[in-house]
Amino acid sequence: MTRNAEGVMIVIAATLAAFGVTLVNFARGDNVDAQSGLTFLVFLIAFGGLHLAVRRWVPKASPLLLAPIAALTALGFIEIYRLDPQRAGLQRWWLLIGAGVASLLIAFLSSVTIPWLRRYRNVTLLVSLGLLLLPNLPQDWGFPLRGLELNGSRLWVVLDLEVTRLHFQPAELAKLGLVVFIAAYLADHQRSLREARRVIGGIQFPEPRQLTPLVLAWGASVAVLIWQRDLGASLLLFAAFVLLLYAATGTAGYLVTGGLLTILGGVLSFLFFDHVERRVTGWLSPFENYEDQGYQIAQGLFAMGSGSLTGSGPALGRPDLIPNAETDFIFAAVAEELGLAGSVAIIALFALLVAVGLGIAFRSRDTFRKLLAAGLTLVLGTQAFLIIGGILRIVPLTGITLPFMSYGGSALVGNFLLIGMLLTLSHEEAP
Amino acid sequence: MNGPIRRLAVGMFSAFAVLLVTVTWYQVVRADDLKGDPLNPRPALSERGKERGLIITSDGLVVARSVESAESKRSFTREYPAGEAFAHVVGYTSFIFGDTGIEGAYASSLRSRRDLTISDLLAAILGQDLRPLNVELTIDSVLQQAAVEALGDQRGAIVALDPATGAVLAAVSTPSFDPVDLIGDDAAANWEAYLNDPGEPFRDRATRELYAPGSTFKVVVAATAQDVGLAGPGTTFDDPRELALPGSDATISNFDGGPCNDGESTTLLNAFVRSCNTVFGDLAMQLGAEEIGVTASSLGFNRQIEYPWSVPEARWQTEELVDDAAALAQSGIGERDVRATPLHMAMIAAAVANEGVAVSPYLVKRVFDAGGDTTDSTDLNELGRAMSANTAQVLTQMMERVVTSGTGRRAAVPGVRVAGKTGTATGTEGFSNLWFIGFAPVDRPTIALAVFIEGSPMSGESATGGSLAAPIAAALIQTWLSTHP
Repeated sequence: MTRNAEGVMIVIAATLAAFGVTLVNFARGDNVDAQSGLTFLVFLIAFGGLHLAVRRWVPKASPLLLAPIAALTALGFIEIYRLDPQRAGLQRWWLLIGAGVASLLIAFLSSVTIPWLRRYRNVTLLVSLGLLLLPNLPQDWGFPLRGLELNGSRLWVVLDLEVTRLHFQPAELAKLGLVVFIAAYLADHQRSLREARRVIGGIQFPEPRQLTPLVLAWGASVAVLIWQRDLGASLLLFAAFVLLLYAATGTAGYLVTGGLLTILGGVLSFLFFDHVERRVTGWLSPFENYEDQGYQIAQGLFAMGSGSLTGSGPALGRPDLIPNAETDFIFAAVAEELGLAGSVAIIALFALLVAVGLGIAFRSRDTFRKLLAAGLTLVLGTQAFLIIGGILRIVPLTGITLPFMSYGGSALVGNFLLIGMLLTLSHEEAP
Repeated sequence: MNGPIRRLAVGMFSAFAVLLVTVTWYQVVRADDLKGDPLNPRPALSERGKERGLIITSDGLVVARSVESAESKRSFTREYPAGEAFAHVVGYTSFIFGDTGIEGAYASSLRSRRDLTISDLLAAILGQDLRPLNVELTIDSVLQQAAVEALGDQRGAIVALDPATGAVLAAVSTPSFDPVDLIGDDAAANWEAYLNDPGEPFRDRATRELYAPGSTFKVVVAATAQDVGLAGPGTTFDDPRELALPGSDATISNFDGGPCNDGESTTLLNAFVRSCNTVFGDLAMQLGAEEIGVTASSLGFNRQIEYPWSVPEARWQTEELVDDAAALAQSGIGERDVRATPLHMAMIAAAVANEGVAVSPYLVKRVFDAGGDTTDSTDLNELGRAMSANTAQVLTQMMERVVTSGTGRRAAVPGVRVAGKTGTATGTEGFSNLWFIGFAPVDRPTIALAVFIEGSPMSGESATGGSLAAPIAAALIQTWLSTHP
């Protein structure tokens, strides 16, 4: 695919979003209004602008990244608009902000080149940990920056300005910083981590002392789980770390140890945390606990079943019956209204992104770039898998968002930054 | 390190493949199970708020309509402007309690065919009309209202038919409920209140409850006797104070405990006009269960009647009665296990009025589209000849005598020849169920009806079909003939 084809695809995605909004209006009995045109324009400006930024600063980047993202964002946006038009209006602003910030990131990274990130890995780590801890700020103190507990989790930060209040989830940004740090750290210690392996049952295991970073990362994840009660972020961070550790060393023992630690952490949190126990109960038997823990999952399953092959059509199903449909359960909402056609499209688009991302990692010229590209892609892919798999009852439900599709400003901005990095990495892959 | 990356790629793609398989499992293989799961509120919700067609009476009164709700043009609420008077006929459509009456039976016509999908677009291109169809009832709103008023506080039912066609002119059950109460915000509380009402307003006494018809059933026995040539109006019978029942200690006596005539003998006509149980018990035993059963079933007993909803089968239990003369005698006066709905009893009166041919009752005249064009109409459906034309004529004369000089004198309407038969049957808790069936005018009948009053403290202990039910029949015949001379 050429850069021009990418431009055409972006126009098509913008048209798709506008057409979806029009269909929703029709189904509601409203007439065509400014929403359709506005949506088209915002998508065109956001992704077209990003497209131009790529042409200007990273012209050799893969043309296969922006198009699928535009399509995913469009599908998610239609459903957000259908569920909550007001939030959709906010989401449009976040789309513009995300694309703008990503363009700036591309411009900056292309001038300093990616290895610049490696130099500041410790600063990145500190900033990321700081961001991660922000929600634990007191809920009410004089300072305008406060933590906020929502739905039993401590993920939000409120910036209380005089004119308006901004909510954001710093973990979405911290996620990126941590991947940068892990990639840099592993690139620096790759050799020592690869040495001194012992083989148990045909699988290579590292020396116990080499497990220290793994155990530390596990500890950090558990800490996130305890203090912020965020099962999703906790699992995602740990999974990304273990997978990258494996990518860096090729030692399968890390995967096995990581898997065991995940299970250990899961069992412990099941035993000690009510919110984890509730999630697991709802996961295992949603219909038996329909009135309570199982309600959301059961509604998600009903939504998918009712959607069947072709779906009810935009705004003609009842995804509004699913709690948190526009955030955690956006996949089920699309599956209900666009049917299997829509849900397969989403999974295929994420698979495409993973393929492109890992392809960049594959072709990158040094260890850091490889690990960074792989890390960013794995975070994206794992996040998509965890939430879709949670809705499909393959894994326990974790309260994380579906990248590019769920409503949420911080997530959208974070994921755009992720794509900005991937685009720059892609540009730099050729020697 | 490209090796591990390649293996991670394989891992990721396997995970996505699992997602694809699973989502296909839910959206294809298990789609219908999930869609139809009783816990899934979607199917019921999809009907909610959609436009439904009109239900109107034959004289054009709107008894059910959908109006656009204030909030959205695409959301409708159902209104029942005629309220309680039509509740059991029209029924209701409720998200919580389901659909009943015409609302339930004609749901597929009344439902909007607009499902707002691609098929709508296609239909619009092809020029199809997706607006819901409307239903026109055979009910005459004036007669229906008059019937409600005539019953007043009584527990009872009235069914009036056009004897020639079977068109239901009125079908009333009291006490009733207002269907609107079951669709608003207080639906659950109202439902509960109606359920706890001692008058049992949800009961459709006109078409869904079986009662012993009492002496009105003597019409069937007299018709059988005339038809088979066993006895006519002039045939004389013994006139005992009590009829001893073979193989039993029980006896049958007349309403006032005395003989029917002079204690020696009486004609069948006199026994019919004075509603003597002794004579009809005797006559039933002479006729036999099978002969009476033939007439009864040709009048609609022991079979399903076509109606918008399931009407319980009226019972004449021939097999049980063949070898039980005592039970047969008691059944001959409409007691023991004989059961019918007021609708069935109206059909009997209609068959006599219609020269002996029974017709199937129908409640819906036609279904019509938004443009007013009929899409479906009811054809005359004859059940068949129940008695010879001659028998029907003889019965008519006997029934007219009931009104002119017998138990049904209070059904008389000045200037109109009315034929009828009263009934006072065993009810519950010491109260009698009261009946009157009849038709008018005798020479050219345009209305046949059954009036039923369920025995209750309201009707009192001394009431008879002649004293309470007959005057109601007179009032309704008068109403009907004043609007349809």
